[in-house]
Amino acid sequence: MSNVFKAIADPTRRKVLQLLQQRPMTAGDLADHFDVSKPTMSAHFAVLMNAGLIDAEKQGRTITYRLRMSVLEEALLGFAQTFGISMTAEPSDPTPTSTSDNS
Amino acid sequence: MTATPPRLQRKPIRDALIVAGLLLGGSVLISALSPRYLSHDLAQRLFGIMVGTFVVVNANAVPKALTPLANMRGDPAAEQSMRRFVGWCMTLGGAGYVLSWIFAPIEIADTLAPVILFAAVLLVLTRIARCRLRPVRA
Repeated sequence: MSNVFKAIADPTRRKVLQLLQQRPMTAGDLADHFDVSKPTMSAHFAVLMNAGLIDAEKQGRTITYRLRMSVLEEALLGFAQTFGISMTAEPSDPTPTSTSDNS
Repeated sequence: MTATPPRLQRKPIRDALIVAGLLLGGSVLISALSPRYLSHDLAQRLFGIMVGTFVVVNANAVPKALTPLANMRGDPAAEQSMRRFVGWCMTLGGAGYVLSWIFAPIEIADTLAPVILFAAVLLVLTRIARCRLRPVRA
């Protein structure tokens, strides 16, 4: 559960989840909404995947991300969005573990 | 991306059997304790809470159970939207069912709890029917 709190504590990751609530999206589509480097986006995706909040499926050369949140996790996300709560004291920018491009 | 090992394929069946066993065991235990150790009302409330909790736990997990995109026949966005709707409706319905059995007077809870759960099921069925009746765009 602490992974979930860590994942939704960051505004960028919350925005990713918000976008995925509309429809499944490719890594490239998601990255277009943010002014951050692709390795940083990959690191954000990795945190969300680790928390089990999104699912990645490879189709050919593209990776499609889908929301994988339970009702309780969505309620927590809504709570965090409404009140803008940062649930951990960690800095929001994740350190990219690799420089590979997911799109 | 890789085939699911048989051990993991059997996991949902094993989990379902465990939950079914817990529900049956709980029912038998409540029946055995009533009326000697539990009043009829309390037994009824406990059974209602148990069933409602079962609904909440299962409905909570509905949006997490994803179908592989390759196996999907319809629009993935519509499928996701439907899963989220079903999850939310049934979780709230189940929570209402549990709360009714906890807080409402027994004669009201007896009617109110099933009405709340039935309303949630009706909403889900209406949404499914609307989806099925909607013409498929080429």
